[in-house]
Amino acid sequence: MYLEIDQLTMRFGGLIAVNNVSISVEQGEIHGLIGPNGSGKTTIFNVLSGYYKPSGGTITFEGRKISGLPAHRITEAGFARTFQNMRLFKTMTVLENLLVAKTYRGRVSMFQEIFNPVAVRREEQWFTDNAMELLGLLEVAEFANDLAISLPYGHQRRVEIARALSTEPKVLLLDEPAAGLNDVETENLRNTLAKIRDLGVTIFLVEHDMKLVMDICDVISVLDYGKKIAEGPGPSIRSDPVVIEAYLGKEGNQ
Amino acid sequence: MKKRSSLLKWLLIGLGAVLLLIFPAIAKNRYQVHIVNNVGIWLMLSLGLNIAMGYAGQFNLALGALWGAGAYTAALLITRLGVPFWINLPIAIVVGTVLGAFVGLPSFKVRSHYLALTTIALGEALNLALVNFDEITGGALGINRIPMPTLFGFPINNDERYYYIILIMVVLAYLIGRQIVSHRIGRAFRALRDDFQAARAMGVNTGYYQILAFAISGAYAGAAGALYAQLNTYISPDIFTFGSALIVMTMILVGGMGNLVGSIVGTTLLLVMNEYLRVFERWQLVGYGVAIVVVVLFLPGGVVELARRFQSYRQRRSARLAPEALGGEGD
Repeated sequence: MYLEIDQLTMRFGGLIAVNNVSISVEQGEIHGLIGPNGSGKTTIFNVLSGYYKPSGGTITFEGRKISGLPAHRITEAGFARTFQNMRLFKTMTVLENLLVAKTYRGRVSMFQEIFNPVAVRREEQWFTDNAMELLGLLEVAEFANDLAISLPYGHQRRVEIARALSTEPKVLLLDEPAAGLNDVETENLRNTLAKIRDLGVTIFLVEHDMKLVMDICDVISVLDYGKKIAEGPGPSIRSDPVVIEAYLGKEGNQ
Repeated sequence: MKKRSSLLKWLLIGLGAVLLLIFPAIAKNRYQVHIVNNVGIWLMLSLGLNIAMGYAGQFNLALGALWGAGAYTAALLITRLGVPFWINLPIAIVVGTVLGAFVGLPSFKVRSHYLALTTIALGEALNLALVNFDEITGGALGINRIPMPTLFGFPINNDERYYYIILIMVVLAYLIGRQIVSHRIGRAFRALRDDFQAARAMGVNTGYYQILAFAISGAYAGAAGALYAQLNTYISPDIFTFGSALIVMTMILVGGMGNLVGSIVGTTLLLVMNEYLRVFERWQLVGYGVAIVVVVLFLPGGVVELARRFQSYRQRRSARLAPEALGGEGD
């Protein structure tokens, strides 16, 4: 198993946000996570990225337990994420935003950083080249030296994905990447996700845009009230009565 | 156009460098040199605090006490053990760094304003330690008759000679500071100031960089302390307080947060103003207060923002002029 979420439970006081959920994500797939608002999707992401320590259960990645590690260690292990409400660094340019994600990749020691400008320049060049490549992939390279938060909303979303990729992740966690995008931009996002998958990055996706999810995900897990109620490929999820009930309510129960 | 302005810039820098180098010769009297030496010491403090606070967003208000730690370390080493300047200075820097990191430890648990409060408390505790361990520190009376340094057999026994030591130290402090803030470390600092949670998710070891920010400001304060003790030949605990940290903070606010040139501008401005306003001694703090209010209201980026605004004004103007020039050619 590549990424294994095993009987994960997350409690906040009396509230059980995630209840005994197990999900396994295969290498190279696009795995969707859907469910009505408040069903625990973002909570799972927050546990995955190390913001919360789970109240129960474990998460293993490539056979190694990662639940409970601090957030930056989880990034080092190969996870990167975007945020529902975009959290770009507001005083930085687009390029600088991506370079921050290179921090832990730096091999130049602090002493060298101060006294060896040649080594620093070489490393900066290497980081910058890689970051520019990603900005090219996301088609925002022309804005590299603009203040990130000065870009239009749709472009900021792409910068955020580029920034996550800049950590050179194995698994990319995307929290509602299509939120606030128009149809053209969503179509663009779909192509982008396909490109990212072709790079060999596994994608774990929380999304409300059902068309996008059904189109692109290999497997979809459905949450409701913190519990997993269904899992499978798009067509089987679409016709699953339990899923329909969770989203639309029981028939004749108005 | 661009070439000319960069030539002008280098000319100005060259002129500034020459003026700095010959300053003791053109100063009106020794007192002026002494004042400038003190400006240099405050510059060390404000460069260090700007890295911690302006870049990394870590309020280190124990800075006054860390300054004191450096001063007492150097003073005790030279008066008790005869450790010379070029050894006691690095030791003072190490002591400042270690204590700075220690002051930063609560940043694992508390953030922003609450962190500021814990640093005030730790700073004042350290200051009280200077007063109360009087068998070592001389208590409230402090330490006097600290010898001025001798380097390679050459006595640095007056303000004019000491000026060059301070000049070298401040230039080094600025250059090192610039290396720190302009690459990986600086970006990590700004990331945790801009958005702590996003910084974590991007793999920034936030705990490490917070402590590092505190340690760096401590290192600068330690150096400032050693320089201060051997310049003034007398130290006592009453300057190494929260009040001094506040003054340094004012300097950064006025000059420009998150901008090392801002430290230089703010510190120089406030201390020179201070000399001219000495006659109105009681109004000095009121003046600082007014300066803060004016800057926060009208120049949130500090005085250095004036330069940036001027530059963008010039760019806009030349952008406005350019199409006309093209149109003229078309005729």
